[in-house]
Amino acid sequence: MEFLSYLSPMFFALVGFGVIVGIIFGAIPGMTATMAVAVCLPMTYALDLINGLALLLGLYVGGISGGLVPAILLKIPGTPSSITTTFDGYPMTQKGEGERALKTGITASLFGGIFSAVILFLFAPSLADFAIKFSYVEKFLIILFALTVIASLSRNLLLGIFSGVLGVWFSLIGSYDISYGGNGEYRLMTDAMVPYLESGFSLLPVLIGLFGLGTIMQEAEKGIREEVGKGKKLDLNGGTPFSFSVFKGEMINLIRSSSLGTFVGMLPGVGGSAASVLSYTQQKNFSKHPEKLGKGAPEGVIASEAANNGLTGGALIPLLSLGIPGDSTTAVLIGAFTLQGIQLGPLFIGNNLDTWNTMMVALLFANLVMFFVMFFAIRTIVKVITIPKYLLYPGIIMMCVVGAYAINFGIMFDVWTLLFFGLFGYLGQKVGLEVAPFIIGFILGKQAEVYFVKSLESFGSLTIFFTKSPIAMVLWVLILISVVFSIYGMIKQKKNNNKHA
Amino acid sequence: MPCQQDHPGETAMADGSSLFKVSIDFDQSHLFFPNIIHWILLILALLIALTEGPKVLRKMRARAEENRGPEASGEKDQTRKIDWLRLLGMLVLTILYFYVMEPVGEIFPNTGLGFLLTSIPFMFLLSTLFVHTPGRREFITITLSSIISPTVAWYVLAQMFNITLP
Repeated sequence: MEFLSYLSPMFFALVGFGVIVGIIFGAIPGMTATMAVAVCLPMTYALDLINGLALLLGLYVGGISGGLVPAILLKIPGTPSSITTTFDGYPMTQKGEGERALKTGITASLFGGIFSAVILFLFAPSLADFAIKFSYVEKFLIILFALTVIASLSRNLLLGIFSGVLGVWFSLIGSYDISYGGNGEYRLMTDAMVPYLESGFSLLPVLIGLFGLGTIMQEAEKGIREEVGKGKKLDLNGGTPFSFSVFKGEMINLIRSSSLGTFVGMLPGVGGSAASVLSYTQQKNFSKHPEKLGKGAPEGVIASEAANNGLTGGALIPLLSLGIPGDSTTAVLIGAFTLQGIQLGPLFIGNNLDTWNTMMVALLFANLVMFFVMFFAIRTIVKVITIPKYLLYPGIIMMCVVGAYAINFGIMFDVWTLLFFGLFGYLGQKVGLEVAPFIIGFILGKQAEVYFVKSLESFGSLTIFFTKSPIAMVLWVLILISVVFSIYGMIKQKKNNNKHA
Repeated sequence: MPCQQDHPGETAMADGSSLFKVSIDFDQSHLFFPNIIHWILLILALLIALTEGPKVLRKMRARAEENRGPEASGEKDQTRKIDWLRLLGMLVLTILYFYVMEPVGEIFPNTGLGFLLTSIPFMFLLSTLFVHTPGRREFITITLSSIISPTVAWYVLAQMFNITLP
């Protein structure tokens, strides 16, 4: 219980602050939890690891939860994962049951969040213990698996894979790092770039550029329209008032949706809407009144929100046990760990038991704060979504600059990197490239190279990837399933498109 | 890098599959993986061109034909209009902001004032560019926000937390 000494009032204050800022970010359409974490990262430069993580985990939980506010009230998902909340939440608002829908969603979020935190606590250490035995070969296969999974969730299979591989390519720019056993030679750039790109692009400016600046460029293109009409009054409390009896008979729904959310979150590289869509459709399949779903049934809100908060703990499992991010937000969290000089991987939990325990406390506390803040101050939060964007966006660009500039203690090149990747993200999406696979590729690229080349250097044959160990074969089966699944999905999608056309 | 062929167990297995044998020259090992990535990217690009190319061409042809018809084009513009003024304006302002920040910062080294002094006009101008219904009230909030937020950010980060700013 030594870790208790780390739990200062500051720690709890930071979690609370993070949750509130996260909720605000999540509640503003177009701004996501990922963006909240990325933009607030510079604040952690001055904090130590434990307090920094307290802030970031608060932001993560708050950001994911805040998305339900505009989803329910405006039919605009505040974060991608609350897309299915709009299906039933908005009809409830139209019936004048806005507050009921919000509170139902908030309570379901709390359940999902706590549920997944418990799973994380039980599961991550044993997975890490198991993964310690992995050699280069298995580690490479895990990364390959992560890349195939993201591809399957892309809008277009080929373009998704292409984006991921392109991310890998960008991560290789610079020297082949001696500290990982490389030969220190430069590649993929000209001599003139060496002083700037000696160790490649820094992760954070790339992330902030893609998620912060890139998003604002997209909004600027649309002309920065305000989604909230002025003077439009929202009738929050017209119909049935909220009571916890909504949850009567919904226990199975809660548990199933939270488990699905946690499980989908665990799959490396997957995140966002997949979890909530999956659990929403499952609820529809199992519901006693499937016809009511989509017309304002609380059970739909429950399914969607329990699942998307289930993501939070789930996505942290591969991050903390394997060093592979579960979704784009946890990808940004990797940046925070690197910043503090901590290498994530199978050894992390064992070597940093205190950090691990405090993270769990932060996660639980964040969920509780999220619940109380949103449950009792929901009317104030609703007002937040009316902050005009013309004030907000310039401020965000400013924070992006701080984050990029300060990361390596004052290098202007990082700020230009920010602009470059902002433009890249904006233009890339025009031609169909996808940001999430790109980022995962970028984060995992360097490791993929080291594991792949080292495996071959020490075994000298490509067959080693199949014959190294039973685990390797299991991983191949997983990879195969993921590939088959995504091809099947693509064919199905094509059929659907043809039907519509 | 010693060659792996003298592994007795390995050779027996690899006999039938000498195709899969790979030996990497350490001096060139920094190019090994990037080369593979280049090939994968190339193959993927070709596949994408094959599957998506016809669709894109069809769309382009359809659009070209639409443009010939005078009534249809107006309708199309309405739905997918790009706000060039705000987009390009934002880009120009941002580039200018980044460009000027460091020289200004060098006038007052190590204070972060370069950041503060450039952020205030940047935020003011960008907000003015973005706002849709400029009025007295909007200008007051814009002015206040563009002075207060950089100052707070500067004070908290540079003064309290000693974070390096331009």
